[in-house]
Amino acid sequence: MLEKILTKGFRRILEATFNDIKNQQDRRDEEEFAKDEIRIKEELLDTVDPYSSDVVLDEDFVVAAVDGSGNSNLVTLDDIRVHLLSSSTILLNTNSTNGQYFEPLEREKIEAELGEQPYLDSHWHSGVRGDAQEKLAQSLENIYPLKDVAEIVMPFFRDFTNGSINSTSDLGKSIEYGKYVKDLKEVKKLISRQQLLTNPIVHDELRTVTELAAARKVLESNLNPKYLLIDGALSVFLHFIRKYPSMPSGFMLRDVCTIARKKGVTVAAVSKNHTIPFAHRIAKMARDNFGDHSKWFCQLPSAEDPGGGLHIYEDRTYIPPTLAVPYLFSFSRDNRPSRVDFDRIWWKDKILVHGDSQATRENEKALFRDLEFMSRDARWYGYPVALGLAHITCKLSYEDMRLAKEIVDDILRAMNQEGRKASALREDYNL
Amino acid sequence: MTLNKDELGEHYGKVGVGNQNMLGIMGNNRDVSVGEIFMIYSCRDGHERIFFFRVLGLQNYIRQVDDLSRIAGTMMVESDAYLSGIERNMLLSVDGKMLGYAEEREGEWKFHSPRRLPDHLADVIRPVRGQSDPYVREMLKSQTDGEVYIGDLQIGEESLDVPVTIPAKFLPMHVGIFGSTGSGKSNLMMVLVKAMIDTNMKAQKDPDVPKISAFCIDPHDEFALGVDKYGIQDIVEAMDAGTRKTVLGDFYYLTTHLAATQREVRRYGKEIRILWNEITPRDLFSIMDFTSQMASFIEAVRGQHGENWISEIVNMSEDPDGTPAGTLRGVQRRLRFLTRSPIFVESGTSVLDDIFEAMETGRILVVNTSLMSNREQFLLTTIATRTLSDLRRALKSSGNLGDFERQAKLRLPPSFFSRVRAKARTFYSKSGNDDQSPVKDPRNLPVIQITVEEAPSILNPDLMRGESVFKDISRQGRKFNIGLLVVSQQVSVLDNVILSQMNTEINLRLGNEREIRACIENASVNITGFENEFRVMSRGEAIVTASYRELPLPVKIPLYDKVFERDKASYKATRTKKKQEKHVI
Repeated sequence: MLEKILTKGFRRILEATFNDIKNQQDRRDEEEFAKDEIRIKEELLDTVDPYSSDVVLDEDFVVAAVDGSGNSNLVTLDDIRVHLLSSSTILLNTNSTNGQYFEPLEREKIEAELGEQPYLDSHWHSGVRGDAQEKLAQSLENIYPLKDVAEIVMPFFRDFTNGSINSTSDLGKSIEYGKYVKDLKEVKKLISRQQLLTNPIVHDELRTVTELAAARKVLESNLNPKYLLIDGALSVFLHFIRKYPSMPSGFMLRDVCTIARKKGVTVAAVSKNHTIPFAHRIAKMARDNFGDHSKWFCQLPSAEDPGGGLHIYEDRTYIPPTLAVPYLFSFSRDNRPSRVDFDRIWWKDKILVHGDSQATRENEKALFRDLEFMSRDARWYGYPVALGLAHITCKLSYEDMRLAKEIVDDILRAMNQEGRKASALREDYNL
Repeated sequence: MTLNKDELGEHYGKVGVGNQNMLGIMGNNRDVSVGEIFMIYSCRDGHERIFFFRVLGLQNYIRQVDDLSRIAGTMMVESDAYLSGIERNMLLSVDGKMLGYAEEREGEWKFHSPRRLPDHLADVIRPVRGQSDPYVREMLKSQTDGEVYIGDLQIGEESLDVPVTIPAKFLPMHVGIFGSTGSGKSNLMMVLVKAMIDTNMKAQKDPDVPKISAFCIDPHDEFALGVDKYGIQDIVEAMDAGTRKTVLGDFYYLTTHLAATQREVRRYGKEIRILWNEITPRDLFSIMDFTSQMASFIEAVRGQHGENWISEIVNMSEDPDGTPAGTLRGVQRRLRFLTRSPIFVESGTSVLDDIFEAMETGRILVVNTSLMSNREQFLLTTIATRTLSDLRRALKSSGNLGDFERQAKLRLPPSFFSRVRAKARTFYSKSGNDDQSPVKDPRNLPVIQITVEEAPSILNPDLMRGESVFKDISRQGRKFNIGLLVVSQQVSVLDNVILSQMNTEINLRLGNEREIRACIENASVNITGFENEFRVMSRGEAIVTASYRELPLPVKIPLYDKVFERDKASYKATRTKKKQEKHVI
C-alpha cells in the first residue's frame, strides 16, 4: 500500500474528504455556533479565580480519584477470551497548612478501608450463545459491592423520574416501567444489549463497573473525600425503547451518584478526550476574552436548563448526557479544553440557584476554583493530579501485559494446557 | 565478628541494574556525593557477602515522572505548580563501580576482587561514622592493614575511623605520591614522616615491627617546624630523652646552613656536606646529560685518579691527549656547580657517614633542600641513594664480613668506605666481627625509603635511558630493602621503568585531564571510571592503589596538626608503676 499512500492520488482523496467535512459539517456547525456565540461569551463562559500559589485553605479536604484499566485479550483459549481488569483509587489531602499540596494518604490507611491497591481481577467468557451475557453478569455481580439488584436499579428511576418513582412498588405500578419489572430483578437481565455483546463492549462494561465499584467503596468508607473524580463522562446510555440504562453500569453510576449526594461528596467525571463540537472555538473565544493565560470554564447547558441547550450539539446524541451537567474547562494554555461532568441532581441542588444566575455563577466559580487547585501538579498541569496518579497506578502497560502473558504461559504449562492456547498469528501470516 | 546487617550502617537503597563491574542503585534522596562508598548486603545462594560499591555518578530520579525536564519546565513556567507526594518519590539513581566484596571464612574476613554480583534487589547500606567503623575495619582489614599510617578511609566527604596504612614490607617496592600544587603533598609527607617515627617507636618494643629509615627531602623547609602549628620538631620535643635518643638519634634535620636554622631545630641538625671524592661519575650521569665523549673522558680520569677525579678535572687546563677538543670544557662547565656549591666540597667533614649510620639504624632524616639548587638536591639524593644501595648490594652479594668488605671496596669511594667500614661491619654482621662472621640479609635491615622530590627532573625517560642510579633502584631496590618515595606533580612525564616498578600509588588531586588519564593508566589496581572523582577531589583526599591490594582505597589524609595533637601523649615513655610492696603483719 505504501506506493499508493505516497501518491498524489491519495492526497487528492484526503483533500476531497476534508473539503466535504468543511463544506457540509463545519459550515453547518459554523452556522449553529454563530447562533450560540453571544450566549456562550456572555452567559456560559467565565474565568476561574484561582487560589494563590501559597494558599492556606480554611479547611483542608480530601480528593479521591478512581481509574481503571484492562486488557480484553490476556489470553485466548480456543474461543474463550480471558480479560484482565484493574482499578486504582488515589486519595490526596490538600494539605495546605503544611504547604505540601495534595499529599497522598498513607497507603496502609487506604488499603485498610478499600482493600489492596491497585485492584486486579480477571474475567472470561466463551463464544457459546448467551455465555458472554451470563458470564458478564456473574463478573459484574462479583465486582460491584452492592448485591441487591433492586437497590442497584432504583437510584436511576428516582433520579430519572425526578422522584416520582421512589420505590420498587412505584416501579411496579409505573405505566412506563411496570412491564419491565421482571427484567429489573437480576443483573443478567439488566444487560439489554445482549445482541451487541462483542468482546470490546463486554470489556468496556467490566472496566466501567470496576471503576464504579472502586468509587462506591470510597464513598462507603470512612475516608470522607470532598471530591470523587472519575475518568471519563457521566453518560448513561438508555435503551431506545425501554428508556432505562441498557447496561448495568448505567444503573450503578446512578447508585454511586446517589450515595455521593448522601455523603456530601462532589462527583466529577473528567475527560481529556471528548467530542464536544467547537471546543476549540470556545477556547479561542476564552483566549480572546480573558487573555492567553486565562483559566476558564464554560457550561454546556441542556434543554431543561435556563436558556435551553446550545445549537451546536442540538442533534448530537448524549451531549449533554442524561442526568449530567457537562462543562468545558481549561486550566492551562498548553492543553486543549477538557470536559467535566457533574451529577445533574447534585448540580441542581448545590450549584444552580433558580432565578439567580449570579449566585449560580458564584457556585460554579467556587467549584472550579477547587478543581483548578487540584490540577496544578507539574506532571499533569491543568488536569486533576489525583486522576493522573490513579491512571499511572492502574494502567497495564505493554510491559505489564508481556509479563502477565508470560505468567499465563507458565500456569498453562503447569496445568498441561498449553496446547489450548491460541497464540497470536505471525505478523506475516496476518493477511 | 558476628555480622548484623542492621548495624552495618544506614539503609540507603536497593541494587537495580548492573554487572560485576558497574552497578546502578536506586536510593533515598539523601545528600550523597561522588566518591562515597556503600556496602551491599548480599546472601545469594546462602553466601553472606558484603560488596563494596563506590559512587561515580548521581542522577535525580522521580518515580512516576518520565520526563523530568518537562516537569522542571512546567514548574518554571507555571509558578503555582506543585508535585503531589513527591517527597517519597524523589530518589537518587546512583551509578558506580563495584570495588569487590568481603566474605567471612573460618572466622576471618577476606576481600576479593569484584568477580561476583550482589543478589537481586540487594540492600544497599550507607556507612555511618561511629556505627559502621568496626565492621568496615574488620572487613577491609586485608586492604588497609600495615605499619605506615597515611589517613582514614574516606566515604564521600566524610571519613570512617578505619585507618589506612601501607605495610612496611612493601615500601621497597616504591611508593608514588602524585598531586598538583595545593593537593596536600606536604601535609601527606609530614603525616608519613610521623607514621614512620611511630612505627620505629613500636619497633623498639616489638621486634616483629620492622624499622623504617627515611631520607625525606623537604623542598620548602616545612617539615621541621610544620606548616601551621606543629612540625616534626614537636614530636622531637614531645619525646622524653631516652625515646628521642633511640628513635631519632642525635639529629634528624639536615640543612645547608645550620646557622640559619631556628635554635630549637639546630640542636637536632647537621650541615649537609658531601665531599667531591664521595661522588661517582654515575651520580652525575643520573642527574644530567653527558655526551658519550664526556662520559668516556670522565671514566678515563677516574680510572687514572680514582676518587679524586673531580678535583683533577676541575684543575685541568687543557684537553688531555686523545680527548676530542672541547670535551674538558664541556665537562668542566657541567661540574662548575660543584665548585660553587656550599654542600659539595673538596675537603672537610662529610655528612654521608652520618646519613649511612642513620639509615642503617632505622632513623628518619628531614633534609631541608630549600636553599639548594635543583641540581644540588638531585645530586644529594642520588649520592645518598647510590651509597646506600652500593653498600647493601655489597652485603647482598656476600656471605660473610670479609666478602662484604671486598665487595664494598669495589663499589664505593675508598675514603668514604674506610670511614664507615667499622660501623658497616657492626650493622651488617649477624654475629661476631671477624671476616668469617655471617652477614645479615638486607631484608632484615631497616627499610630505607628515599624521597625523590620533583621526580620528573631525574626520573624522566632521557636520564633513565643512561646509567641512572634510580633505574637500578627501581628494578632491584626490593632486594636491598631500599625503596623510592617518588613525589611528583605529573605522572605522564615519569619514565615507564619507575612507573611499572611502583607498587603503591597515593593519588591526590591532579592538575589536568592528561595527568588524570596517566594516573588511571598507571594505577596498580584498575580504577577506570574514576575520572569524575579525580575531577572533584579536594585537598587532602587521595585514592590509594597498590598491587598487593584488590581495593582502590579512598583516603582522607588528616592534617598533621590533628594527628600530632591526637598522639602527642604517646611520645612520652610510659612509666611502669612500681608494684606496691605488700606489707604483711
